Amino acid sequence: MANSLRLYLTCIRNTLDAALCLQNFPCQEVERHNKPEVELKTSPELLLNPVVYGPLVLICRNEAEKCLIETSINSLCISLKVKQSDELENILTKKFLRFLSMRAEAFQVLRRKPVQSFHTFLMVVGYSTVYYTQGYDISFLITNYHCEDMQKQKLIEFIVQFMEDIDKEISELKLSVNTRGRLVATEFLKQFI
Amino acid sequence: MACFERVSPALREILTRIHRAERPIEVDHHVHEFGSVHYHVKHSVTDSVYTYLSVSTPLLSSQGLPISSQLLPQHTLEMVNGIFPRVMEALVPPNEGYQLTLKLDISRIPHDNNKASTKMISDIASVQSVLVSNQLKEILKSVDSQEIGHGIYKPIKLIYHPREPFFVIKQPAKMSAIFPMRFKEKEDVIIATTFFQELMDVGSTEAFRKAPHCIWSPIPPAELRGEPIEDLSTNGGFLSFDITPQHVQGKKLEKTVWNLLNVYAFVKWHVKSSRGFVQRRMRMRLDKLVQPLREVENEEDDEQRETRKKKNKKKKVDGGCTNVRKWIRVSKKKILERNEELGKRIRSRIKIRCFSRLRRKWLRMPKFSPVTRYMKLE
Repeated sequence: MANSLRLYLTCIRNTLDAALCLQNFPCQEVERHNKPEVELKTSPELLLNPVVYGPLVLICRNEAEKCLIETSINSLCISLKVKQSDELENILTKKFLRFLSMRAEAFQVLRRKPVQSFHTFLMVVGYSTVYYTQGYDISFLITNYHCEDMQKQKLIEFIVQFMEDIDKEISELKLSVNTRGRLVATEFLKQFI
Repeated sequence: MACFERVSPALREILTRIHRAERPIEVDHHVHEFGSVHYHVKHSVTDSVYTYLSVSTPLLSSQGLPISSQLLPQHTLEMVNGIFPRVMEALVPPNEGYQLTLKLDISRIPHDNNKASTKMISDIASVQSVLVSNQLKEILKSVDSQEIGHGIYKPIKLIYHPREPFFVIKQPAKMSAIFPMRFKEKEDVIIATTFFQELMDVGSTEAFRKAPHCIWSPIPPAELRGEPIEDLSTNGGFLSFDITPQHVQGKKLEKTVWNLLNVYAFVKWHVKSSRGFVQRRMRMRLDKLVQPLREVENEEDDEQRETRKKKNKKKKVDGGCTNVRKWIRVSKKKILERNEELGKRIRSRIKIRCFSRLRRKWLRMPKFSPVTRYMKLE
C-alpha cells in the first residue's frame, strides 16, 4: 500500500474510533420518535464538534480524495470522495457507486444518496464571487442501533476495507474495459488482413 | 442494414425447410430484419417447382436520403443472375414494394450433398449483403468522376441510415473512408473514445502493418472542409480508414467493403457489450463487498450463542431441580399444549396394543376446578 494511502486510512480509522461513541437519544421535537440527529441538524447542541483537521471539516489525501465525518449524539455520517483521474474512471466510479447505493439495504449502513455538502466555499473568479458546493461520491450513516448490533472495531474495519476495495475495483474495471477494447480492435483489424 | 453476418439466418432456415421437405409445403413468410430489410418468401403446393423470394432493402445513396424504392441498376441485376444462373433468376419488374424478386428452382440444389446444398442456400440467403456491397464497390470505382481540381477530389457522402452518413475521398495513393461518430449518451462517447484509441494503438503495431491505417480525431479532418456543418457536428469524433490498392485486390475487396459497411454497427455493438460487461461485473462484486459486514453480524451471533451456552451450563449444576420447578409452576395453557404435543407424538410414532387404555388412564388431562363455579350461599 502506498505510504500516503496508509496514512490517510490510519487517520480515518483513528477519527472514527473517536467519533463512534453513540447512544440512544429520542427526538426532542416529536414524541416517541427516534431519528438520526446528524441528518436532521435541527438541534445544534446534539451535533458534536465536527472533527477538524486543518481549516476544513475534511480528511484529505489530496485534492481528489476526501473524507467528511459528521457526528451527532446518536448517529454518524461518513462521506467519501473517490479518486477519479480521467473520464473513464469518472463514469465507472459514478456507475459503480450508484449501483451500490441503490442496493443500500444489503449494506445496512450505506446511505442511498451521497451527501451534498453544505459547506460552501467562496471562490473569486474575475470580478464575481462563486459559491461552490462540494459533493461526495458515497455516504455511510451509522446509528446507535448499528453500534449495538455490531462491534465498533469491526464496523470501522469494514469502512476502511470498503474504501480500499472500491479503489481496487474501479482500477480493475478500467483495466478490463481497456483490455476488452484492445481485443475487439484486434479482431476488427484482423478481418482486413 | 449491414451487420456482421452476411447470411440472413431466418431466410436460410426457411429455404432449408423448403429444400428438405419430402412433400411440397405451402410457405408464405414475411421476414423483417434490422428494422429496414424485408424478405417475402412464397412457395405454393400448386407451383411446387419454383420459390419466389422478394427483397426490399435500403440502398446506399450518394445524394441525400436513402433510397428504398429505387430499382436496382442493370449491372447489379446481372451480377445477381450470375451467382447461380441455373438456380435463381431475377424477375423484371420485381414485385411491388421490393427492389428485387428472385425465382428460385430449389430442386436444382443437390439433395445428396449436404455441404454443397448448405453453401448454396447460404449464398442465396446473403443476397441482401450482395446488393449493398455491390453498390459501394461501384461507387468506389467511380470516385474519379468527382474530380474538381488537379489532385483534389470531392468527398462523396454515402448515406445508408439517415443519421449515419459517411464520406469516401479518393486521394493520389489511397482512398479514405471517414466516419463521423455520434452517440446518444456521454458514457457511450467515453467508452467509444477509449476503443478508438486502442484501435489506433493496435493498428500502428507491426502485426497489423497490412491492415488499413486507422486515425481518430475529435475534430473534422482537413479533407472534409467545406461540408455542411450538420454533417461535421459530432460528439464522438471522426474515425478514418486509409484504403490502399492492396486492400481492394481480388477477394480482399469484398472483405474491405463489408467491414467498412459494418463500422457503425461494430462500434455500437462494442459499446453496448462493454456496458453489459461492467454491469455484470458490478453485480458479481456486490457480494464480495457485503461479505465483511455479514461476517461481523455472524460473529456477533456466534458470540451471543457462546454466552447463552455458558448460561445454560450454569443452570445444569442445580441437579435438575429447575426442571421440576418449571413443571410445577407451569400454567394451565402450557399443560394443555404439552399434552397435545405428547399425544400427537405418541399418535404419530408409536402404535402399541392396549396402549390406548394406558393412555386414557395415566395420561389424562388434569381437571382443574373452574374458577367460575361458586356455591350460592343461602
